[in-house]
Amino acid sequence: MAREIYAYKCRLCETMHYPMRMVCKGCKQNDFFEFDTVPLPKSGKLLTWTRVYNLPAQYEVATLGLGIVELENGMRMLGQLDIEDPQIGMDVAGSVEVVRKETYDDFYGMVFRAA
Amino acid sequence: MREVYVAGIGITTFTRLEYPLVEIASYASMMALKDAGVTEVDQLYVANMGAPRVNHQTALGSAVADSLSLLPAGAAAIENGPASGAAAIKAGFQAVASGMDDVVLVAGVERMREVNNLEATDFVATLTHPLTEYIYGVTLPSHAAMFARLYMEKYGVTERHLAMVGVKNQNAALNNVWAHLQQGITLEGILDSPEAMTNNPYVAEPLRFFDACPVSDGGAAIILVSKEKAQELGRPMIRLSGIGQATDTHAVFEREEPTDLLAVRNAARAAYDMSGLGPEDIDVAELHDAFTILEIAESEEVGFFPKGEGHIALEKGETALGGKIPINVGGGLKGRGHPVGATGVAQAWEIVTQLRGDGEKRQVEGARTGLSLNFGGFGNNVVCLTFVRED
Repeated sequence: MAREIYAYKCRLCETMHYPMRMVCKGCKQNDFFEFDTVPLPKSGKLLTWTRVYNLPAQYEVATLGLGIVELENGMRMLGQLDIEDPQIGMDVAGSVEVVRKETYDDFYGMVFRAA
Repeated sequence: MREVYVAGIGITTFTRLEYPLVEIASYASMMALKDAGVTEVDQLYVANMGAPRVNHQTALGSAVADSLSLLPAGAAAIENGPASGAAAIKAGFQAVASGMDDVVLVAGVERMREVNNLEATDFVATLTHPLTEYIYGVTLPSHAAMFARLYMEKYGVTERHLAMVGVKNQNAALNNVWAHLQQGITLEGILDSPEAMTNNPYVAEPLRFFDACPVSDGGAAIILVSKEKAQELGRPMIRLSGIGQATDTHAVFEREEPTDLLAVRNAARAAYDMSGLGPEDIDVAELHDAFTILEIAESEEVGFFPKGEGHIALEKGETALGGKIPINVGGGLKGRGHPVGATGVAQAWEIVTQLRGDGEKRQVEGARTGLSLNFGGFGNNVVCLTFVRED
């Protein structure tokens, strides 16, 4: 089964959240855990990007591509880029892969490639 | 609410300091206490972001209180990311304004160079959203880079404009003996010459080495007092006239208009409202130029220039010493350095220095009002202060 990254939809007012909130930013209703999970779309357009050269500890690569993507449902997310020559506005498609490795844990996140 | 005045200021050199954290905070505080002419305080706040993680020390408030023999004054440490300094000043203001305390010491301190550059970068990156930003390897330079690219696309800001901010502020630091960077730079050296790419490589495209502030150690301190106490002490009457603070989304990508810094706009507006001033009334400003793009964007959000025109004002020299609104005449974070917890207090130190007329080679002639902006997170927690000279 393909891995997913989830958005959180308020059961009262249907406002979508990514990242999750404990209280809905739309209706502000303080009802515990009143959110449904909805998989985020995986395709979208590249809004902005960078190639980073001074990475934090734990990364064993020379550079890392990062970008913010406007997904096809209008929500945005940040992901790693595996793109040679990124351009603002280009179509990208994501897949959920390991984005950070620590001693005992692998962290999964979205990696975008040219669509 | 009582009026609150700044009666004393102190600072250490910003650089790599081989002293324990508490000594750095204490040294700046001793200067401020001596400047104000007080030996006792009712309360002290110590602003710091990284001591538990970087220096393996907690409860700095208690440690500094004892180091300065200020017992049994109340003490606490305040952690608010890179906006810890101004947040601590706000807490000090509230203590005096409420009538609870008459004399409050606010010290800011950071010792980031105790760890290597990779660890320092990672420590600052821990302020990002854990699940949607941090795990991807996001750093503050990468946030600033993605923001800069959008600004370039939308408003026509170029790498040259960014370099101009860097040259202006790093060269301004030559007029400030406390500043970290004491080396002049030119556009030729960092942008135009064949060696520029070696001198000034990319750290996060489109931002280069000289677009970012250095990693610094340092401390700064101010003494906040009631009006009666200020008159009794007889130092120049500089009132902390306005404070605004605002938050924004933790994850940067969620912001509706990604080139806006709403927390900056809201914090500045609140500070202006409280002080009865507008952007046109400000004589000298300290903006949070952790990255060159931020000085341009913040100069617009605090109302000095219309949105998208900050880089044009920069080109015309309006933000340099002698310009319409001199910004970061003491070097800013870029030139003075950015010991994160100390920065908000150091900005206040510079404004008070200016309003006292003690700026020497960097003095803004006749400055009577000042503004400082301390930018936390990547714009998710911002504190704006205004100061007025009254006597």
